[in-house]
Amino acid sequence: MVTINLFLTIQKSAAIISFLAAVLVVCVVVFLISTSSKEEDKTSVKHKVYKLRGRYFLLLLIAIIALLFLSLRLLPYKSFQGKADEIVTVVATQWAWKMEPGISDKSPAQFTGSNEITLPSQKLIKFLVTSADVNHNFAIYNSEGVLVGQTQAMPQYTNEMEHQFEEKGDYKVLCLEYCGIPHAYMFATIHIK
Amino acid sequence: MLQISPIEIKKQRKFIVVWSVTFLIAFPLLILLGLLMRMNQGEVIKIGMDKFYMLMTLHGLGMSGLLFSMSFAALWYLISTRYAKLNIGLGYFVYTLILLGVVGLAIAGLMGKFAAGWYLLYPLPFKGATWAAWSTGLSIISLIILGVAWLAGMLHVIYVLAKEYGGFTNLLGWQYLSGKEVKRELPPIVMITTISLIPGVIAFLAGAVFLIMNLLQYFEPSLTFDPLLLKNLVFFFGHTLVNITLYCCLGWVYALLPEYTGREWKVNKVLVYSWNATLFFIMFAYFHHLYMDFVQPLPFQVAGQLASYFSAIPATVVTMFGVIAQLYHSKIKWGIVPVAFLIGVAGWAIGGFAAVVDSTIAVNKILHNTLWVPAHFHTYMLTGVVLFIFGFLFYLSHTKEEQYKDKFAKFGFWLFVIAGHAFIATFYSGGMNSIPRRYADYKGIPISYTHHTGALLAQIAVYCIIALLMGLFIMYISILIKLGKKKPITHIHLAEG
Repeated sequence: MVTINLFLTIQKSAAIISFLAAVLVVCVVVFLISTSSKEEDKTSVKHKVYKLRGRYFLLLLIAIIALLFLSLRLLPYKSFQGKADEIVTVVATQWAWKMEPGISDKSPAQFTGSNEITLPSQKLIKFLVTSADVNHNFAIYNSEGVLVGQTQAMPQYTNEMEHQFEEKGDYKVLCLEYCGIPHAYMFATIHIK
Repeated sequence: MLQISPIEIKKQRKFIVVWSVTFLIAFPLLILLGLLMRMNQGEVIKIGMDKFYMLMTLHGLGMSGLLFSMSFAALWYLISTRYAKLNIGLGYFVYTLILLGVVGLAIAGLMGKFAAGWYLLYPLPFKGATWAAWSTGLSIISLIILGVAWLAGMLHVIYVLAKEYGGFTNLLGWQYLSGKEVKRELPPIVMITTISLIPGVIAFLAGAVFLIMNLLQYFEPSLTFDPLLLKNLVFFFGHTLVNITLYCCLGWVYALLPEYTGREWKVNKVLVYSWNATLFFIMFAYFHHLYMDFVQPLPFQVAGQLASYFSAIPATVVTMFGVIAQLYHSKIKWGIVPVAFLIGVAGWAIGGFAAVVDSTIAVNKILHNTLWVPAHFHTYMLTGVVLFIFGFLFYLSHTKEEQYKDKFAKFGFWLFVIAGHAFIATFYSGGMNSIPRRYADYKGIPISYTHHTGALLAQIAVYCIIALLMGLFIMYISILIKLGKKKPITHIHLAEG
């Protein structure tokens, strides 16, 4: 049976909005070209365009403030995070992921974790992500290939990222920061029970 | 009032022809590198991962450097033939240094297989490198040479303009805000040049600090630096370079479009406020490249989103509405130059919108380092900056009548535009499908959908690039035939209004 996934991801929403914006731009271009054969006094044109510009400016300002108000409450950073049910330490190396439950007291170079880990669904997981060598990016993909969360793995720093896995199954970890020649072959698996 | 002699104009014209030919040679070569990369990702050819990342490094450094150089060279030409006497000797010195830097980068890439990416994300050049160690040193030194060249050129232009227009603040248009009568009108191109080059100078200084730190570590491997600090430095440098490339182009859109519409486009208070605000936003927008570094101080993260969002106000309210006021009911004859400028502004608008979407932190946590990122910057580079450059090249090589009548070139132009947007659409689709960027191929990805979608989109992109190159070739024939012809000095004046 063919199932159609109607769930609108952030990726799809971004694409739809950007496509609509592009259509609007094309409409303006077509309008300008198709009406350019007429001649109108530049003062009269200025008056019309400036009137429209004033309205557009107000609309844009309101839209920007509203979007900032809404989106700046959805930040992924530490001060916006909840209380984690489980903590996982993640160390990236060239070119493998190492993961282990809990907070590790070992240095990134000495850390020995596995590239597979099992975690519970419906629980808030906090990943403490760092690197033993160069910059990497810890990106979690669900089984349908949708990126659901990411943070950089930077040497000398630990980025704290939280994620709640809603569905059971296997999630894959990909590296999303260029980290050397085998960068595209650096994977791990998170089993969600 | 300033008098520029016909001999000086001839010299400057020769100089811009040298730059234009250099651009016309290098541009398709760098596209070919992109084509090879997409062919490898599409599993059409197999070039090996080391070669892929070497090509990626050359393509990124080459394109951003070439487009900035050509944008700056065109500004140089327009300023030196109309508004201020620029030192042609210094111009050739800058050009020679740039060639020297490019040769160094090409040797490091093609012979040493240097492949740390355009941004040499510290400490990657020194850890786990499979390329020759000397190629890291040569790349850093070559980039320093390029930086010195651009800095010298930019500082010279700002200095000469400040002298010509009675001080630095006059270049920013502040005399329009005092309420007093303005003694000498400030051409928009002069103000935009200044506003583009000031952040450029600061960014290049940041780039210089970054490169010197890298060079120190190259010679003394026991040294280490803070990777977060170096990431800030390199993205401030890189983002600003790409950003001001587009603003440099807008300088000549403001200067040249009125010649086709017959409507003047002057500096006024709104324009001054708007462009000074742009100067401010350019300086802070780069923070959006570090959203996924959660340890970056929160105020910087928020500043990145604020600067990115608010930069849309001067861009659309002033410049894009300015273009509308220029064109609406203007009875313009649609030669290739105004078309290129209009379609270029459209590309800037489309790419800019996608950039603003991605500059939302809550969205970036999903789109960061997917193909959405190359999607939006290719939109405003390939279908923005490049179209502005071709508009300029047609302006330089064709009379207005020739621009209007050259249907062959127009066909090439539209083929390039349509293929360009189709090519970019494959990147957007990749972003929508979470396809990672900077992957030599998708074969290893343990998610079948991601592997196959990534490869399929890359295959489609290959056809788009081939069509795009055909459009480019057609435009080349038209430009090179006309560019090579000796033009009497009266024609140059005529073409420049």
